[in-house]
Amino acid sequence: MKILLIFLALLPLMWAGYTLPSAIDPIKMLSNVTGVGAIVLLLISLLPSTCKRLCHFNFIKYRKTLGLLAFMYTLFHVSAFVILDAELDLTFLIEKSLKKPFIYIGAIAFVILLFMALTSFKKLFAKFSTYHKAVYLALALALFHSFWAQKVAGVFEYSVVAVGVVLLGERVWAWKRA
Amino acid sequence: MQNFNLEDITPEELFNARRHFLKLGAGALVSSSALTHLMAELPKQNALHYTPSTNPDKLILNTEEQATNYVNFYEFSTDKVAPVKMSQKMKTSPWSLGFFGEIKTEQMVEVDELIAKFGLEERIYRFRCVEGWSMVVPWIGFPLYKLLDYLEPNSNAKYVKFTTRHEPAMFPDQAKGIFASIKHPYVEGLRMDEARHPLTFIAVGMYGKRLLPQNGAPMRLVVPWKYGFKSIKSLDLIECVTEEPRNTWQDQNPDEYGFYANVNPEVDHPRWTQAKERVLGKLFKQPTLKFNGYEKEVASLYAGMDLRKYF
Repeated sequence: MKILLIFLALLPLMWAGYTLPSAIDPIKMLSNVTGVGAIVLLLISLLPSTCKRLCHFNFIKYRKTLGLLAFMYTLFHVSAFVILDAELDLTFLIEKSLKKPFIYIGAIAFVILLFMALTSFKKLFAKFSTYHKAVYLALALALFHSFWAQKVAGVFEYSVVAVGVVLLGERVWAWKRA
Repeated sequence: MQNFNLEDITPEELFNARRHFLKLGAGALVSSSALTHLMAELPKQNALHYTPSTNPDKLILNTEEQATNYVNFYEFSTDKVAPVKMSQKMKTSPWSLGFFGEIKTEQMVEVDELIAKFGLEERIYRFRCVEGWSMVVPWIGFPLYKLLDYLEPNSNAKYVKFTTRHEPAMFPDQAKGIFASIKHPYVEGLRMDEARHPLTFIAVGMYGKRLLPQNGAPMRLVVPWKYGFKSIKSLDLIECVTEEPRNTWQDQNPDEYGFYANVNPEVDHPRWTQAKERVLGKLFKQPTLKFNGYEKEVASLYAGMDLRKYF
Protein backbone atom coordinates (compact mmCIF):
# COMPACT_ATOMS: atom_id res chain seq x y z
CA MET A 1 0.00 0.00 0.00
CA LYS A 2 2.78 2.40 0.93
CA ILE A 3 4.64 1.46 -2.23
CA LEU A 4 1.55 2.25 -4.30
CA LEU A 5 1.23 5.61 -2.53
CA ILE A 6 4.86 6.48 -3.26
CA PHE A 7 4.47 5.36 -6.87
CA LEU A 8 1.36 7.52 -7.37
CA ALA A 9 3.03 10.51 -5.76
CA LEU A 10 6.04 10.13 -8.04
CA LEU A 11 3.97 10.03 -11.27
CA PRO A 12 3.92 13.83 -11.78
CA LEU A 13 7.71 13.93 -11.37
CA MET A 14 8.14 11.18 -13.95
CA TRP A 15 5.82 13.04 -16.30
CA ALA A 16 7.88 16.22 -15.76
CA GLY A 17 11.09 14.36 -16.56
CA TYR A 18 9.55 12.81 -19.66
CA THR A 19 8.24 16.10 -21.07
CA LEU A 20 11.27 18.17 -20.07
CA PRO A 21 13.06 17.93 -23.45
CA SER A 22 10.02 19.34 -25.27
CA ALA A 23 8.98 21.85 -22.60
CA ILE A 24 8.59 25.41 -23.91
CA ASP A 25 9.59 27.02 -20.59
CA PRO A 26 11.45 24.13 -18.89
CA ILE A 27 12.61 25.92 -15.71
CA LYS A 28 9.12 27.27 -15.10
CA MET A 29 7.58 23.85 -15.79
CA LEU A 30 9.85 22.16 -13.21
CA SER A 31 9.14 24.88 -10.64
CA ASN A 32 5.40 24.55 -11.23
CA VAL A 33 5.21 20.75 -11.07
CA THR A 34 7.34 20.55 -7.93
CA GLY A 35 5.63 23.52 -6.26
CA VAL A 36 2.10 22.33 -7.00
CA GLY A 37 3.08 18.78 -5.93
CA ALA A 38 4.51 20.04 -2.64
CA ILE A 39 1.40 22.01 -1.74
CA VAL A 40 -1.06 19.29 -2.75
CA LEU A 41 0.87 16.63 -0.81
CA LEU A 42 1.21 18.91 2.20
CA LEU A 43 -2.58 19.36 2.23
CA ILE A 44 -3.12 15.60 1.80
CA SER A 45 -0.73 14.91 4.68
CA LEU A 46 -3.11 16.83 6.95
CA LEU A 47 -6.05 14.63 5.98
CA PRO A 48 -5.34 11.50 8.08
CA SER A 49 -5.87 13.23 11.41
CA THR A 50 -8.90 15.17 10.10
CA CYS A 51 -10.39 11.88 8.92
CA LYS A 52 -9.68 10.17 12.18
CA ARG A 53 -11.73 12.79 13.98
CA LEU A 54 -14.54 13.23 11.47
CA CYS A 55 -15.12 9.98 9.68
CA HIS A 56 -13.50 7.47 12.02
CA PHE A 57 -11.44 6.18 9.16
CA ASN A 58 -7.90 5.73 10.31
CA PHE A 59 -5.04 5.97 7.88
CA ILE A 60 -2.73 7.81 10.21
CA LYS A 61 0.01 5.29 9.46
CA TYR A 62 0.44 6.93 6.04
CA ARG A 63 0.86 10.39 7.47
CA LYS A 64 4.62 10.22 7.75
CA THR A 65 5.01 8.90 4.20
CA LEU A 66 2.77 11.69 2.89
CA GLY A 67 4.71 14.27 4.85
CA LEU A 68 8.02 13.00 3.57
CA LEU A 69 6.72 12.97 -0.01
CA ALA A 70 5.61 16.59 0.42
CA PHE A 71 9.10 17.38 1.69
CA MET A 72 10.67 15.60 -1.28
CA TYR A 73 8.68 17.78 -3.70
CA THR A 74 9.67 20.85 -1.68
CA LEU A 75 13.31 19.82 -1.88
CA PHE A 76 13.05 19.43 -5.67
CA HIS A 77 11.29 22.79 -5.86
CA VAL A 78 14.05 24.52 -3.90
CA SER A 79 16.72 22.68 -5.93
CA ALA A 80 15.15 23.81 -9.20
CA PHE A 81 15.26 27.37 -7.90
CA VAL A 82 18.82 27.23 -6.58
CA ILE A 83 20.34 25.27 -9.48
CA LEU A 84 18.33 26.33 -12.54
CA ASP A 85 16.87 29.71 -11.64
CA ALA A 86 19.70 31.12 -9.55
CA GLU A 87 22.35 29.02 -11.32
CA LEU A 88 24.10 28.52 -7.95
CA ASP A 89 24.96 32.21 -7.97
CA LEU A 90 25.23 33.37 -4.34
CA THR A 91 24.73 37.04 -5.19
CA PHE A 92 21.56 36.15 -7.02
CA LEU A 93 20.37 34.00 -4.12
CA ILE A 94 21.18 36.29 -1.23
CA GLU A 95 21.04 39.82 -2.58
CA LYS A 96 18.55 39.47 -5.37
CA SER A 97 16.19 36.82 -4.04
CA LEU A 98 16.17 36.35 -0.28
CA LYS A 99 15.32 40.02 0.14
CA LYS A 100 12.05 39.49 -1.66
CA PRO A 101 9.27 38.60 0.81
CA PHE A 102 7.69 36.10 -1.57
CA ILE A 103 10.97 34.18 -1.70
CA TYR A 104 11.90 34.27 1.99
CA ILE A 105 8.42 33.24 3.02
CA GLY A 106 8.90 30.15 0.86
CA ALA A 107 12.37 29.67 2.33
CA ILE A 108 10.99 29.71 5.91
CA ALA A 109 8.40 27.10 4.95
CA PHE A 110 11.21 24.99 3.48
CA VAL A 111 13.28 25.23 6.68
CA ILE A 112 10.30 24.12 8.77
CA LEU A 113 9.66 21.13 6.50
CA LEU A 114 13.38 20.29 6.49
CA PHE A 115 13.37 20.26 10.31
CA MET A 116 10.30 18.03 10.32
CA ALA A 117 11.77 15.62 7.80
CA LEU A 118 15.01 15.32 9.79
CA THR A 119 13.14 14.69 13.03
CA SER A 120 10.55 12.33 11.60
CA PHE A 121 12.39 9.16 12.57
CA LYS A 122 11.75 7.21 15.74
CA LYS A 123 14.16 8.57 18.31
CA LEU A 124 14.08 12.18 17.25
CA PHE A 125 10.34 12.17 16.63
CA ALA A 126 9.70 11.26 20.27
CA LYS A 127 11.71 14.28 21.28
CA PHE A 128 10.50 16.79 18.72
CA SER A 129 6.98 15.73 17.79
CA THR A 130 5.38 18.67 19.63
CA TYR A 131 7.25 21.03 17.35
CA HIS A 132 5.72 19.31 14.34
CA LYS A 133 2.69 21.56 14.90
CA ALA A 134 4.83 24.04 12.96
CA VAL A 135 3.49 22.32 9.84
CA TYR A 136 0.49 24.64 10.10
CA LEU A 137 2.77 27.63 9.85
CA ALA A 138 4.63 26.00 6.96
CA LEU A 139 1.35 25.38 5.16
CA ALA A 140 0.16 28.95 5.67
CA LEU A 141 3.49 30.30 4.39
CA ALA A 142 3.53 27.91 1.42
CA LEU A 143 -0.01 28.93 0.42
CA PHE A 144 0.93 32.59 0.69
CA HIS A 145 4.07 31.91 -1.34
CA SER A 146 2.14 30.19 -4.12
CA PHE A 147 -0.49 32.92 -4.16
CA TRP A 148 2.17 35.58 -4.37
CA ALA A 149 4.22 33.84 -7.04
CA GLN A 150 1.56 34.55 -9.68
CA LYS A 151 1.00 37.74 -11.57
CA VAL A 152 -2.69 37.18 -10.84
CA ALA A 153 -3.81 34.27 -8.64
CA GLY A 154 -5.86 31.69 -10.53
CA VAL A 155 -8.22 28.81 -9.79
CA PHE A 156 -5.48 26.59 -8.32
CA GLU A 157 -4.24 29.21 -5.86
CA TYR A 158 -7.76 30.01 -4.63
CA SER A 159 -8.66 26.31 -4.39
CA VAL A 160 -5.67 25.29 -2.29
CA VAL A 161 -6.18 28.27 0.00
CA ALA A 162 -9.82 27.21 0.44
CA VAL A 163 -8.86 23.62 1.24
CA GLY A 164 -6.15 24.85 3.63
CA VAL A 165 -8.62 27.10 5.45
CA VAL A 166 -11.08 24.21 5.84
CA LEU A 167 -8.40 21.83 7.18
CA LEU A 168 -6.96 24.38 9.60
CA GLY A 169 -10.44 25.60 10.60
CA GLU A 170 -11.53 22.08 11.47
CA ARG A 171 -8.53 21.78 13.78
CA VAL A 172 -9.34 25.01 15.56
CA TRP A 173 -12.94 23.83 15.92
CA ALA A 174 -11.88 20.41 17.26
CA TRP A 175 -9.45 22.05 19.67
CA LYS A 176 -12.12 24.42 21.00
CA ARG A 177 -14.58 21.60 21.56
CA ALA A 178 -12.05 19.47 23.40
CA MET B 1 20.27 27.31 -35.97
CA GLN B 2 17.55 28.29 -38.40
CA ASN B 3 19.29 29.39 -41.52
CA PHE B 4 16.61 28.62 -44.04
CA ASN B 5 14.60 31.37 -45.57
CA LEU B 6 10.97 31.42 -44.56
CA GLU B 7 9.80 31.91 -48.13
CA ASP B 8 11.67 28.84 -49.34
CA ILE B 9 9.36 26.62 -47.35
CA THR B 10 6.12 25.43 -48.91
CA PRO B 11 3.38 27.41 -47.23
CA GLU B 12 1.29 25.30 -44.89
CA GLU B 13 -1.93 25.80 -46.86
CA LEU B 14 -0.29 24.86 -50.14
CA PHE B 15 1.27 21.83 -48.52
CA ASN B 16 -2.08 20.70 -47.19
CA ALA B 17 -3.76 21.46 -50.50
CA ARG B 18 -1.18 19.36 -52.29
CA ARG B 19 -1.71 16.47 -49.88
CA HIS B 20 -5.43 16.77 -50.35
CA PHE B 21 -4.88 16.82 -54.08
CA LEU B 22 -2.73 13.69 -53.99
CA LYS B 23 -5.22 11.93 -51.76
CA LEU B 24 -7.79 12.29 -54.52
CA GLY B 25 -5.65 9.78 -56.38
CA ALA B 26 -6.93 11.12 -59.61
CA GLY B 27 -3.87 12.91 -60.83
CA ALA B 28 -4.36 11.74 -64.41
CA LEU B 29 -7.93 12.94 -64.59
CA VAL B 30 -7.54 16.26 -62.94
CA SER B 31 -7.29 19.17 -65.27
CA SER B 32 -5.26 22.22 -64.46
CA SER B 33 -8.49 24.10 -63.81
CA ALA B 34 -9.18 21.88 -60.80
CA LEU B 35 -5.83 22.87 -59.38
CA THR B 36 -6.53 26.51 -60.02
CA HIS B 37 -9.83 26.04 -58.25
CA LEU B 38 -8.04 24.53 -55.24
CA MET B 39 -5.57 27.39 -55.20
CA ALA B 40 -8.34 29.95 -55.30
CA GLU B 41 -9.88 28.40 -52.24
CA LEU B 42 -6.73 28.87 -50.18
CA PRO B 43 -7.43 31.08 -47.23
CA LYS B 44 -6.34 34.67 -47.28
CA GLN B 45 -3.68 33.72 -44.71
CA ASN B 46 -1.38 32.95 -47.53
CA ALA B 47 -1.43 36.39 -49.01
CA LEU B 48 1.13 38.16 -46.84
CA HIS B 49 3.61 39.86 -49.11
CA TYR B 50 6.35 41.53 -47.17
CA THR B 51 9.95 42.66 -47.27
CA PRO B 52 11.97 40.06 -45.36
CA SER B 53 14.24 41.13 -42.53
CA THR B 54 17.99 40.82 -42.98
CA ASN B 55 18.21 40.00 -39.27
CA PRO B 56 20.93 42.62 -38.65
CA ASP B 57 21.44 41.56 -35.00
CA LYS B 58 21.86 37.89 -36.06
CA LEU B 59 19.24 36.82 -33.55
CA ILE B 60 18.39 33.14 -33.24
CA LEU B 61 14.67 32.66 -33.82
CA ASN B 62 12.49 30.73 -31.44
CA THR B 63 10.39 28.12 -33.16
CA GLU B 64 6.91 28.95 -34.36
CA GLU B 65 5.64 26.15 -32.15
CA GLN B 66 7.10 27.84 -29.06
CA ALA B 67 5.86 31.32 -29.93
CA THR B 68 2.33 30.14 -30.74
CA ASN B 69 1.87 27.78 -27.78
CA TYR B 70 3.04 29.89 -24.84
CA VAL B 71 1.10 33.13 -24.52
CA ASN B 72 -0.35 35.57 -22.05
CA PHE B 73 -3.87 36.37 -23.19
CA TYR B 74 -5.91 37.09 -20.07
CA GLU B 75 -9.03 37.75 -22.16
CA PHE B 76 -9.15 33.96 -22.46
CA SER B 77 -7.28 32.60 -19.44
CA THR B 78 -4.37 33.33 -17.12
CA ASP B 79 -2.88 30.01 -18.24
CA LYS B 80 -0.10 30.09 -20.84
CA VAL B 81 -1.42 27.22 -22.96
CA ALA B 82 -5.23 27.32 -22.54
CA PRO B 83 -5.75 30.40 -24.79
CA VAL B 84 -4.39 28.44 -27.76
CA LYS B 85 -7.44 26.17 -27.92
CA MET B 86 -9.88 28.67 -26.48
CA SER B 87 -9.15 31.27 -29.14
CA GLN B 88 -9.48 29.15 -32.26
CA LYS B 89 -13.06 30.17 -32.94
CA MET B 90 -12.24 33.84 -32.63
CA LYS B 91 -13.50 35.71 -35.67
CA THR B 92 -10.73 38.05 -36.73
CA SER B 93 -12.05 39.04 -40.14
CA PRO B 94 -13.69 41.38 -40.96
CA TRP B 95 -12.17 43.59 -38.27
CA SER B 96 -11.92 47.33 -38.32
CA LEU B 97 -9.96 49.59 -36.01
CA GLY B 98 -11.21 52.89 -34.70
CA PHE B 99 -8.91 55.94 -34.75
CA PHE B 100 -10.07 58.73 -32.48
CA GLY B 101 -8.97 61.67 -30.37
CA GLU B 102 -6.57 64.45 -31.27
CA ILE B 103 -6.19 63.58 -34.96
CA LYS B 104 -7.21 65.21 -38.21
CA THR B 105 -10.09 62.90 -39.10
CA GLU B 106 -11.60 60.36 -36.73
CA GLN B 107 -12.34 57.17 -38.65
CA MET B 108 -12.73 53.39 -38.74
CA VAL B 109 -10.48 51.40 -41.07
CA GLU B 110 -10.45 47.70 -42.02
CA VAL B 111 -7.29 45.76 -41.17
CA ASP B 112 -6.80 44.71 -44.82
CA GLU B 113 -7.11 48.31 -45.91
CA LEU B 114 -4.38 49.32 -43.45
CA ILE B 115 -2.14 46.56 -44.80
CA ALA B 116 -2.71 47.77 -48.37
CA LYS B 117 -2.02 51.36 -47.33
CA PHE B 118 1.23 50.88 -45.44
CA GLY B 119 2.72 47.72 -46.95
CA LEU B 120 4.35 44.99 -44.89
CA GLU B 121 7.86 44.30 -43.69
CA GLU B 122 9.42 41.75 -41.39
CA ARG B 123 11.12 42.66 -38.11
CA ILE B 124 13.06 40.13 -36.06
CA TYR B 125 12.82 41.32 -32.47
CA ARG B 126 13.67 40.11 -28.99
CA PHE B 127 10.57 39.79 -26.82
CA ARG B 128 10.96 39.88 -23.03
CA CYS B 129 8.07 39.15 -20.69
CA VAL B 130 8.00 40.82 -17.27
CA GLU B 131 7.60 37.31 -15.82
CA GLY B 132 11.17 36.46 -16.78
CA TRP B 133 10.89 34.52 -20.06
CA SER B 134 11.96 35.69 -23.48
CA MET B 135 11.95 34.73 -27.13
CA VAL B 136 12.91 36.00 -30.59
CA VAL B 137 10.03 36.41 -33.05
CA PRO B 138 9.91 37.36 -36.75
CA TRP B 139 6.97 39.79 -36.81
CA ILE B 140 5.30 41.05 -39.98
CA GLY B 141 3.64 44.44 -40.08
CA PHE B 142 4.45 48.12 -40.42
CA PRO B 143 6.00 50.75 -38.14
CA LEU B 144 3.45 52.69 -36.11
CA TYR B 145 4.81 56.05 -37.32
CA LYS B 146 3.45 55.31 -40.81
CA LEU B 147 -0.03 55.01 -39.34
CA LEU B 148 0.46 58.14 -37.22
CA ASP B 149 1.66 60.09 -40.25
CA TYR B 150 -1.55 59.09 -41.99
CA LEU B 151 -3.73 60.05 -39.00
CA GLU B 152 -2.02 63.43 -38.54
CA PRO B 153 -2.18 63.97 -34.76
CA ASN B 154 -2.61 67.64 -33.76
CA SER B 155 -0.49 69.56 -31.24
CA ASN B 156 -2.62 68.38 -28.29
CA ALA B 157 -1.67 64.76 -28.98
CA LYS B 158 0.98 63.91 -26.36
CA TYR B 159 0.28 60.20 -25.92
CA VAL B 160 -1.15 57.31 -27.87
CA LYS B 161 -3.69 55.13 -26.11
CA PHE B 162 -4.39 51.57 -27.29
CA THR B 163 -7.41 49.46 -26.36
CA THR B 164 -8.11 45.77 -26.91
CA ARG B 165 -11.50 44.89 -28.35
CA HIS B 166 -14.19 44.50 -25.71
CA GLU B 167 -16.46 41.72 -26.90
CA PRO B 168 -17.47 39.33 -24.08
CA ALA B 169 -18.94 36.85 -26.57
CA MET B 170 -15.46 36.46 -28.06
CA PHE B 171 -13.31 36.86 -24.93
CA PRO B 172 -14.71 34.72 -22.07
CA ASP B 173 -12.80 36.50 -19.29
CA GLN B 174 -14.55 39.76 -20.27
CA ALA B 175 -17.89 38.09 -19.54
CA LYS B 176 -16.95 37.25 -15.95
CA GLY B 177 -17.74 40.64 -14.44
CA ILE B 178 -16.15 41.06 -11.01
CA PHE B 179 -14.59 37.59 -11.32
CA ALA B 180 -12.55 38.63 -14.36
CA SER B 181 -8.79 38.11 -13.94
CA ILE B 182 -8.03 41.75 -14.84
CA LYS B 183 -10.03 44.87 -15.61
CA HIS B 184 -11.33 44.88 -19.19
CA PRO B 185 -10.84 46.14 -21.79
CA TYR B 186 -7.05 46.00 -21.72
CA VAL B 187 -5.46 49.42 -22.17
CA GLU B 188 -1.90 50.41 -23.02
CA GLY B 189 -0.17 53.67 -23.82
CA LEU B 190 2.98 55.20 -25.24
CA ARG B 191 4.42 58.69 -25.16
CA MET B 192 4.17 60.25 -28.65
CA ASP B 193 7.95 60.08 -29.19
CA GLU B 194 7.97 56.40 -28.17
CA ALA B 195 5.05 55.71 -30.49
CA ARG B 196 6.83 57.47 -33.36
CA HIS B 197 10.11 55.60 -32.78
CA PRO B 198 11.06 53.59 -35.87
CA LEU B 199 11.25 50.35 -33.82
CA THR B 200 7.64 50.63 -32.61
CA PHE B 201 5.69 48.22 -34.74
CA ILE B 202 2.15 47.17 -35.58
CA ALA B 203 2.12 43.45 -36.35
CA VAL B 204 -0.41 41.53 -38.42
CA GLY B 205 1.65 38.40 -38.84
CA MET B 206 4.57 36.30 -37.67
CA TYR B 207 6.63 33.48 -39.18
CA GLY B 208 5.47 34.47 -42.65
CA LYS B 209 1.77 34.09 -41.86
CA ARG B 210 -1.10 36.04 -40.39
CA LEU B 211 -1.13 36.22 -36.60
CA LEU B 212 -2.88 33.30 -34.99
CA PRO B 213 -5.73 34.27 -32.64
CA GLN B 214 -3.72 33.43 -29.51
CA ASN B 215 -0.95 35.82 -30.57
CA GLY B 216 -3.32 38.78 -30.75
CA ALA B 217 -4.91 38.59 -34.19
CA PRO B 218 -5.67 40.40 -36.32
CA MET B 219 -3.50 43.35 -35.30
CA ARG B 220 -1.31 44.05 -32.29
CA LEU B 221 1.37 46.37 -31.02
CA VAL B 222 5.03 45.30 -30.65
CA VAL B 223 7.39 47.51 -28.64
CA PRO B 224 10.61 45.48 -28.45
CA TRP B 225 12.43 47.44 -25.73
CA LYS B 226 9.53 47.21 -23.27
CA TYR B 227 8.16 44.29 -21.28
CA GLY B 228 5.71 42.20 -23.26
CA PHE B 229 2.60 43.48 -21.51
CA LYS B 230 3.03 46.81 -23.35
CA SER B 231 2.59 44.97 -26.66
CA ILE B 232 -1.20 44.95 -26.53
CA LYS B 233 -3.14 42.36 -28.53
CA SER B 234 -6.24 42.34 -30.77
CA LEU B 235 -6.40 46.10 -31.11
CA ASP B 236 -9.76 47.82 -31.31
CA LEU B 237 -8.98 51.49 -30.74
CA ILE B 238 -6.00 53.75 -31.22
CA GLU B 239 -6.48 57.21 -29.77
CA CYS B 240 -4.21 60.22 -29.65
CA VAL B 241 -4.67 61.84 -26.25
CA THR B 242 -3.35 64.68 -24.10
CA GLU B 243 -2.98 62.90 -20.76
CA GLU B 244 -0.86 59.84 -19.96
CA PRO B 245 -3.22 56.85 -20.27
CA ARG B 246 -3.43 54.58 -17.23
CA ASN B 247 -2.39 51.19 -18.58
CA THR B 248 -4.05 48.00 -17.32
CA TRP B 249 -1.16 46.51 -15.33
CA GLN B 250 -0.31 49.80 -13.66
CA ASP B 251 -3.96 50.09 -12.72
CA GLN B 252 -3.95 46.50 -11.44
CA ASN B 253 -0.85 46.90 -9.27
CA PRO B 254 0.89 50.32 -9.36
CA ASP B 255 3.70 49.22 -7.02
CA GLU B 256 4.77 46.53 -9.45
CA TYR B 257 3.99 47.83 -12.93
CA GLY B 258 4.51 51.30 -14.29
CA PHE B 259 3.66 53.22 -17.43
CA TYR B 260 7.09 52.92 -19.03
CA ALA B 261 7.89 49.23 -18.40
CA ASN B 262 11.24 49.47 -20.17
CA VAL B 263 13.22 46.23 -19.97
CA ASN B 264 15.90 46.91 -17.37
CA PRO B 265 18.07 44.26 -15.69
CA GLU B 266 19.10 46.83 -13.05
CA VAL B 267 15.59 47.53 -11.79
CA ASP B 268 13.99 44.53 -10.11
CA HIS B 269 10.34 43.69 -10.09
CA PRO B 270 9.38 43.95 -6.38
CA ARG B 271 8.91 40.18 -6.25
CA TRP B 272 11.71 38.94 -8.47
CA THR B 273 14.92 40.02 -10.13
CA GLN B 274 14.98 40.99 -13.80
CA ALA B 275 18.75 40.44 -14.21
CA LYS B 276 18.39 37.27 -16.27
CA GLU B 277 15.82 35.64 -18.49
CA ARG B 278 14.66 32.17 -19.48
CA VAL B 279 14.82 31.86 -23.26
CA LEU B 280 11.93 29.62 -24.29
CA GLY B 281 13.09 26.07 -24.95
CA LYS B 282 16.32 26.49 -22.96
CA LEU B 283 17.21 24.98 -19.58
CA PHE B 284 19.79 27.70 -18.90
CA LYS B 285 19.22 31.39 -18.43
CA GLN B 286 20.87 34.31 -20.21
CA PRO B 287 21.55 37.87 -19.01
CA THR B 288 18.84 40.41 -19.80
CA LEU B 289 20.04 43.40 -21.80
CA LYS B 290 19.19 46.99 -20.96
CA PHE B 291 16.24 48.14 -23.07
CA ASN B 292 16.18 44.52 -24.20
CA GLY B 293 19.24 45.10 -26.38
CA TYR B 294 17.89 48.27 -28.04
CA GLU B 295 19.76 50.71 -25.79
CA LYS B 296 21.60 52.31 -28.68
CA GLU B 297 18.34 53.07 -30.45
CA VAL B 298 16.08 54.15 -27.59
CA ALA B 299 18.13 55.27 -24.55
CA SER B 300 18.00 58.90 -25.71
CA LEU B 301 14.20 58.88 -25.27
CA TYR B 302 14.75 58.63 -21.53
CA ALA B 303 17.76 60.91 -21.08
CA GLY B 304 17.76 62.49 -17.63
CA MET B 305 14.91 60.34 -16.34
CA ASP B 306 15.25 58.28 -13.16
CA LEU B 307 14.48 54.82 -14.49
CA ARG B 308 13.88 53.49 -10.95
CA LYS B 309 11.13 56.03 -10.47
CA TYR B 310 9.71 55.75 -13.97
CA PHE B 311 9.78 51.96 -14.14
